[in-house]
Amino acid sequence: MTPNWSSAGTLLTIWLLVPYLAAFLAVLLPSLSHGLVLLCCGATAVVGAHTLLHGTNAELQLLGDFGVQLSLDPLAGWFLLLNGLVCGAVWLEARQQAWDRTGWMLLLVLLGSLNTSFLTTDLISLYVSLEVVGISAFLLILRGQSDNTPWIALRYLLIGNTAMAIYLIGAGLVYAQAGSFQFAALAALLPGAPLVLVLVGLLAKAGVFLNGLWLPRTHAEAPAEISALLSGVVVGGGALPLLRLEQLNAGIAELLLPIAAGSAVLGVIYALGVSDAKRLLAWSTLAQMGLVLLSPAAGGLMAFAHGVAKGGLFLTARHWPTRSLSAWREQPMAWPVLLPVWIGSLSIAGLAPMLGYSAKKQLESSVAPPVALLLLVLSVGSVAVYSRLCRAPLARATALRPWGIWLLMLAPLIGGLWRIGQVKSGWLVSLLVLLLGVAVDQALEWQRRRGPVALPSLDRLPDLLGGLGLVGAGLLLAISAGVA
Amino acid sequence: MAPIRLLELLILLAALAGFAGLLLRRNLFLKVLAMDVLGSAVVALFVLLAARSGLRSPILPRSGALLAQDYADPIPQAVILTAIVIGLSIQALLLVVITQMARIDPSLDTASFEPSDQP
Repeated sequence: MTPNWSSAGTLLTIWLLVPYLAAFLAVLLPSLSHGLVLLCCGATAVVGAHTLLHGTNAELQLLGDFGVQLSLDPLAGWFLLLNGLVCGAVWLEARQQAWDRTGWMLLLVLLGSLNTSFLTTDLISLYVSLEVVGISAFLLILRGQSDNTPWIALRYLLIGNTAMAIYLIGAGLVYAQAGSFQFAALAALLPGAPLVLVLVGLLAKAGVFLNGLWLPRTHAEAPAEISALLSGVVVGGGALPLLRLEQLNAGIAELLLPIAAGSAVLGVIYALGVSDAKRLLAWSTLAQMGLVLLSPAAGGLMAFAHGVAKGGLFLTARHWPTRSLSAWREQPMAWPVLLPVWIGSLSIAGLAPMLGYSAKKQLESSVAPPVALLLLVLSVGSVAVYSRLCRAPLARATALRPWGIWLLMLAPLIGGLWRIGQVKSGWLVSLLVLLLGVAVDQALEWQRRRGPVALPSLDRLPDLLGGLGLVGAGLLLAISAGVA
Repeated sequence: MAPIRLLELLILLAALAGFAGLLLRRNLFLKVLAMDVLGSAVVALFVLLAARSGLRSPILPRSGALLAQDYADPIPQAVILTAIVIGLSIQALLLVVITQMARIDPSLDTASFEPSDQP
């Protein structure tokens, strides 16, 4: 804590509240909206970057012992920087789509509530901010034009609210047992039903494994800018609290390890099988969120590297000539779009010298050897997934200037170059993974041309709800087996 | 059986009934109502938690002196107020979307909205 903490604390509180005020102003005075969005995104990115550079570790308790508890640390810093960048990039792109004042309001509310959810370390403030995130994301999804939009949006809110009701039961039980709503109190309890209920809710929000089966269709059907927001930062609202819990109690990290690994495997398998490019990106988000949860030490960087690259890739979707991957080879793309697709794909696939590579290195060094081996296999799978996107030929240059996509793609490039000094070896492994991945992709492509892959459909509404129940029951069994 | 245990059991049953309704009902409107049952069970749970220390409303008398020890715990009560408001607004939003979707299928059968394409 710094000596002048009270003023820093006041500044922090004002910064948290400004997006909500700006949202109201943006509706009342639409002429100000662009300036307000820019201000809020810029401030969020600056706070995130400042936290990371200075390694700030500040805690703030508002309204007494049972009030709101905020914690600003480097882990939150990654998510804040990501939030500022993705929202800024979406603003740059959405300006060209002529969004109205409601759109800007929702973007500002989403930004503000995500900031709150990244900072709070008590269960109830987290509940409130995640519900606000959910409602604003729901209203943003509803802006889509397709026939399917109401169903996708309704499903998103229904699943999200059910998960949060389960979470709230867990929070109530934590209070009954520990007399406090803070994360630390939950982590100090013996693992049991309260922990499982909270985890089930957060896993659904983070889009992991069976709890995240709603994610692929939702992220694929939303308009391009909304998909970028959802896949880039909104899933982080559930992932960061999980990482904080893992940080507080290593037992929780062990408990979540099979779920995280299962999510990564499931996501890669489906991403290899689907025939729609946006669906591929969405399934890959499910896989990457699993990787984020593997280790709290590397989770922040992983989430950042994935968020900027995936946000950028989803933003390019508006400029794709087609979404069908089978026609991908015949549809040329102009360089302003094709270059970001390549950069984003290389970064998420974890190839040097992008930021995704150093994130993956950091993750490998912080997990147990068997998990590191699984990671290596999964990176071959990721390369195979993303080489499907890199097939599009180059078209003749156009006057397209997608500044938002370029802004997001700068991050993996600059971050990768900045961290490249720390990564001395591993180039050979990277090259080997690339070659193997491309080989796997070619083999699968040959298989796909012979006939369509029939993957079971996992995302009907009963499946989604059943997934919540299954994961909860599984966690309970794992805990009782561990205790006995 | 102590009354508080019985109430706990009833709340648990209500929550399970809500979840089962969400899972098994085919009508979208009933699904949303089942979600509300689940939400109400959560509210009841928090009210019950608050009542463990006593039933009197946790409001200080004008003199400022605490007269008795059997006050209800104000923290869960205060917390659940927010959840009630959020639950109500989400319910309202879902019902608005459902009225729109009733134009596609007035019987609101969930299966008729599920897309049948690849995962």
